[in-house]
Amino acid sequence: MPFLQHLCQILYDSGLGTAIRESDYAYSLIESVHVIAITLVVGTIAVLDLRMLGFILRPIAITRVAHAVFPLTWSGFVIMFISGSLLFWAEAAKMYNNPAFRAKIVLLALVGLNPLIFHTTVYRRVHEWETARLAPWRARVAAIASLSLWGSIVIAGRAIAYF
Amino acid sequence: MFLHSSFLALGQTALGHFMQTSRWGFALVEMAHLLALALLGGALLIVDLRLLGVVLKGESARSIGRDLGRIVIASLIVMIVTGIALLSEEAGKCYFSPAFRWKMVLLAFAVLFYFTLHRRALLGTDTGTPGFWARSAALVSLTLWLGVGVAGRAIGLI
Repeated sequence: MPFLQHLCQILYDSGLGTAIRESDYAYSLIESVHVIAITLVVGTIAVLDLRMLGFILRPIAITRVAHAVFPLTWSGFVIMFISGSLLFWAEAAKMYNNPAFRAKIVLLALVGLNPLIFHTTVYRRVHEWETARLAPWRARVAAIASLSLWGSIVIAGRAIAYF
Repeated sequence: MFLHSSFLALGQTALGHFMQTSRWGFALVEMAHLLALALLGGALLIVDLRLLGVVLKGESARSIGRDLGRIVIASLIVMIVTGIALLSEEAGKCYFSPAFRWKMVLLAFAVLFYFTLHRRALLGTDTGTPGFWARSAALVSLTLWLGVGVAGRAIGLI
């Protein structure tokens, strides 16, 4: 058995994993929290992305929008990560072979890479373009990448239940 | 009952048949419903937090409300259209579901509130600190929309 699959089996068989899986309400409750957290993350990051693309809030500097949005996005992300880990814990052995879950993990890695590249390159000189109604093309590419990746993550996440 | 028979009729339409028999139909429509939910939730949250004076305090609540309102309306339309398609899959069952009934009542209140008192609160708050009524409107709005979401999630569970 591959190492990762073995690890998934250990999580699946653990006390916590079994407790969540066998409880009448735990799984559904955690899943509901997970959905609300995703709304928070994706919805708020989309506002920033749409601002960079020049669709909304054009009179407001991009850095102001970013400052307003980031605490919400990050709190959502923490809740999403914790609730998501618990859901995974309970179903780990099944998730290992689930194609939608695998796709979601790859997409999550990519969506993490995106702000990393963005912040170390074009965002470093944000003060030169923060009040522009439309962000420079590299920032717009990052915004489109963010919107499509997060959208795909929602789609892949929902698809997990159908495999 | 007129309402009950319209629910049953919806299940008998071509849309209903498609949603009941297609392998991926329900899943795809559900994904579109969720994507629109994320946009709707994010836009509403920023608008209401501005109205509460938590974020973007120096900026005009009126223009934020107008701008993000376009996202709210566009995603609301997508949610209603996809929602009707999702409903057609098991309309007869939803008619009797308490979660579904709660969701519809809360949705009606949320939409009504959004276009009336909430709108007035936004129009009346420019760049200044929001007043008592504006803050109350933001709290009522957040509660109503969160209620719609929670009731919606419950449809699949109870």
